[in-house]
Amino acid sequence: MSKDILVIGGGIAGMQSSLDLADMGIKVHLIEKLPSIGGKMAQLDKTFPTNDCAI
Amino acid sequence: MLDVGRHPNIELLAYTEVEKVEGEAENFKVTLRRKARYVEEDRCTGCGACAEKCPTAVPDAFNEGLGYRSAIYSYFAQGIPSTHTIDPDHCRQLNGKKCGICAKTCQAEAINFEQKDRIIELNVGAIIIAAGYDIFDPSLIPEYRYREIANVVTAIEFERLLSASGPTGGHMDRPSDRAVEAEIEALEKKAKKSQKALDKLEKKFDEPSAAFYRKYQAGEYKDDEDRKKWADKYAAHLTVTEPLEELKKKAEAFTVAKRLAFIQCVGSRDFRFYPFCSGYCCMHSIKEAMIAQEHVPETTSTIFGMDIRAVGKGFEEYKIRGGNNSNITYVRGRVAEITEGPDNNPVVIYEDTRERKVKRQEFDMVVLATACAPIKGIAGLAKTLGIELDNYNFIKTSPLSPVDTTTPGIFVCGCAESPMDVPESVAQASSAAERAAEIAFQPELEKEKAVA
Ligand SMILES: Cc1cc2nc3c(=O)[nH]c(=O)nc-3n(C[C@H](O)[C@H](O)[C@H](O)COP(=O)(O)OP(=O)(O)OC[C@H]3O[C@@H](n4cnc5c(N)ncnc54)[C@H](O)[C@@H]3O)c2cc1C
Ligand code: SF4
Repeated sequence: MSKDILVIGGGIAGMQSSLDLADMGIKVHLIEKLPSIGGKMAQLDKTFPTNDCAI
Repeated sequence: MLDVGRHPNIELLAYTEVEKVEGEAENFKVTLRRKARYVEEDRCTGCGACAEKCPTAVPDAFNEGLGYRSAIYSYFAQGIPSTHTIDPDHCRQLNGKKCGICAKTCQAEAINFEQKDRIIELNVGAIIIAAGYDIFDPSLIPEYRYREIANVVTAIEFERLLSASGPTGGHMDRPSDRAVEAEIEALEKKAKKSQKALDKLEKKFDEPSAAFYRKYQAGEYKDDEDRKKWADKYAAHLTVTEPLEELKKKAEAFTVAKRLAFIQCVGSRDFRFYPFCSGYCCMHSIKEAMIAQEHVPETTSTIFGMDIRAVGKGFEEYKIRGGNNSNITYVRGRVAEITEGPDNNPVVIYEDTRERKVKRQEFDMVVLATACAPIKGIAGLAKTLGIELDNYNFIKTSPLSPVDTTTPGIFVCGCAESPMDVPESVAQASSAAERAAEIAFQPELEKEKAVA
């Protein structure tokens, strides 16, 4: 049995760490201060350098 | 975001903060506070019927205060989880007034005004901090007159104006114009109400108010108490409709902002605040100018900066493309001051360092490329976790172990560590995950060693 990991913050960085760990089969507890995850990136219209939609 | 919400190995605890951390790497005992949403997570379907009926309007933080949400809300439309939350500072019911409209509306019976914060205890092997950054408050630079001049906005506010799901539906409506439109709406509501009262009197006396009022002012109906009341009501009505008509006339001339200025290094590369470069703001100004020009092709943008830092794969090409195809002019110079000209147009006063001349130029809107600042609660969080911060309150790391904090078993990634863009944040996130996984798998690795 592997140990669990706590991730603090659900922006792009926290989401990516959580997914990487979860895909390795590790149990992750992701906590976010605000009512939903997404962080600043969710507020962006599009992102450089590809101008793809942020969410 | 969806993948995070759905992954069987991720327990997502939103609206939750760390209260206490004890122990050490491989064995941390963590106490969390799951804040009361006053909505049962397992019942709420996120349908939003409650938010539609809620009578309380609150400035919407997700839209940087450029729009309104209800006191019961989802943080943003596609937010995960979609569970709604009652804002305890603004909800009428939670502040002792009679309301509860949301509870009456909710078909799932998810509203629970009695809900309390819950304490959760966990045992974890490692911790990753990905608490991000705050937008530098540009009102600390008084010469830029942020909040004094309505059409001086921050880059993140501009992102919300560009967004089709934002408060203007993606139109570059200027804040000063939006304020006038909001005033028109409020006055129209008032005028409608006072007109209703006048309608009754007009019917009673069988005469339009304006015609009656002319006679009344000429001295007719001297001792008629009822007509005096009518005259007073009509005079009050005029104090609403006259300014209303004036504002409406003014609003006819409103168009979207087409002459844009972007001011770089607001708070960064500035020894009064953050002496270092935030790394991503040159690029997001170019991006915002490009998108604005895609919306309205005649839009022109001037980017004022000491130099444009386009350090990253494909970034320099992006900058050149902006200049060639998106009507962007790059001006080398630091902006000294922003003042307000006619029609609420901000005027940028700057030194063109190539020509060594002080110049001034008028724009429809000015966008401030604000520095990446540490989050407000960082000192408290660092204390709870027992980690050190650097001189600027980002989380301390060392160049050869860029995701390790000063405490073993606690890692960091993204802008909590230092300013960085999305690709870098993602790369650091994967590194931090890898470092944490080494600890998570430790018992198994040791078992394998023992067997071998
Ligand atoms: C206007 C603007 C435009 C930008 N455009 C681009 C772009 O086009 N392309 C690009 O690559 N980059 C862009 N960036 C940079 C980008 O925003 C960052 O690189 C990225 O968002 C960093 O992600 P993060 O996860 O580190 O931080 P954040 O997005 O800030 O996420 C941190 C999360 O942690 C949460 N949190 C904070 N404290 C706590 C706590 N104590 N407990 C629990 N949770 C907590 C926060 O609520 C937040 O959800 C832009 C930045 C700005 C300002
Ligand atoms: S990225 Fe550009 S705007 Fe941002 S701090 Fe660096 S030089 Fe200034």
